[in-house]
Amino acid sequence: MAGRVAEQFGAARTDAALLQVALRVEQVAALAYAAAADGPLEGEERTHALRFAEHERRHAAAFETMLFALTVPVRERASEEHLDALLPGLRGAERREALQALAELEGAAIMGHLLMGRRLVALDALRTVATVMAGGAQHLVVLRDALGQTPLTQTFETGH
Amino acid sequence: MVSGRRCSASGAVYEVVGRAASRLRAGRCSRRRFLGAAGALVGGALLAACGRDEAAKAPESDAAVLDRLLRHEQATVAAMAGAPAALRDQDRRHAARLARELVALGGRPVPPGAPGDPASVPARKQQGVFTYVVALPRLADPELRVLVMQIAASEAAHLAALRLAAGEEPVPDAFAGFTETGTP
Repeated sequence: MAGRVAEQFGAARTDAALLQVALRVEQVAALAYAAAADGPLEGEERTHALRFAEHERRHAAAFETMLFALTVPVRERASEEHLDALLPGLRGAERREALQALAELEGAAIMGHLLMGRRLVALDALRTVATVMAGGAQHLVVLRDALGQTPLTQTFETGH
Repeated sequence: MVSGRRCSASGAVYEVVGRAASRLRAGRCSRRRFLGAAGALVGGALLAACGRDEAAKAPESDAAVLDRLLRHEQATVAAMAGAPAALRDQDRRHAARLARELVALGGRPVPPGAPGDPASVPARKQQGVFTYVVALPRLADPELRVLVMQIAASEAAHLAALRLAAGEEPVPDAFAGFTETGTP
């Protein structure tokens, strides 16, 4: 999955293309958290997943607004089919599998955001990308904690 | 590095956010006021229409930006005496890397000093996220931008880890503190 996301970011050569990939990843992440909340996650983990789904929707909205500002229309939104294509089996996954899939998706998004740091021409837009990435890094802390991983944080967050 | 179109409105928003961050640190600006400025940032309407390289507009060099970030990080290291060892160690590594990059650009890192900012550790971490994010478009070197994004995300992660350890909501805001909507 991370490889597919990296490929999509890697193939994007313009600001609009980069933002479109970033938008799609956030939309899928929102669906993924919602699916995990409806599926194997319970209690506090489910509460976090629902909250993070909303965060991902806000990230997507920020990218969508940036695309509008570039006069790039957003005609299609990620669907359950996109979720199944990127994270097959998430809906039927066990708790740990689901948490790992979500962490992998967050990491892949972060790797894409770092690529945007290298390639974006509109540097002002990078601030929003960085705040989305920082939000993703915070999600990763919660996911790593739920998975029993240490350390929870990295010196230089790479998404790996 | 310089691209075509200009967008002074967007630059103005970030100037406001940058100034508000300074006032927040100095205790002369309320969190609400700061977030009001930053909310425009995250709203995105002003962000992407600009093909302008802010680094070209501001004559500040990468070395000057790194020097400022290093001073912030050194103050953070000095203020983190009571923080978990893992986070302190990561902050020291942030400072060491920034110093190395500054030296590579011909700069001379100032030696670490005594803590001068009485802010709590979580407040200091939140300031760190603001400081790094606001600095980003001022950097001309793409690799330095990536480094600063990585450190900004690390600072945000520290904040989430501290909240988690304190039994608080670890991620109250979608944009790592840049919007008011997630304020508990």
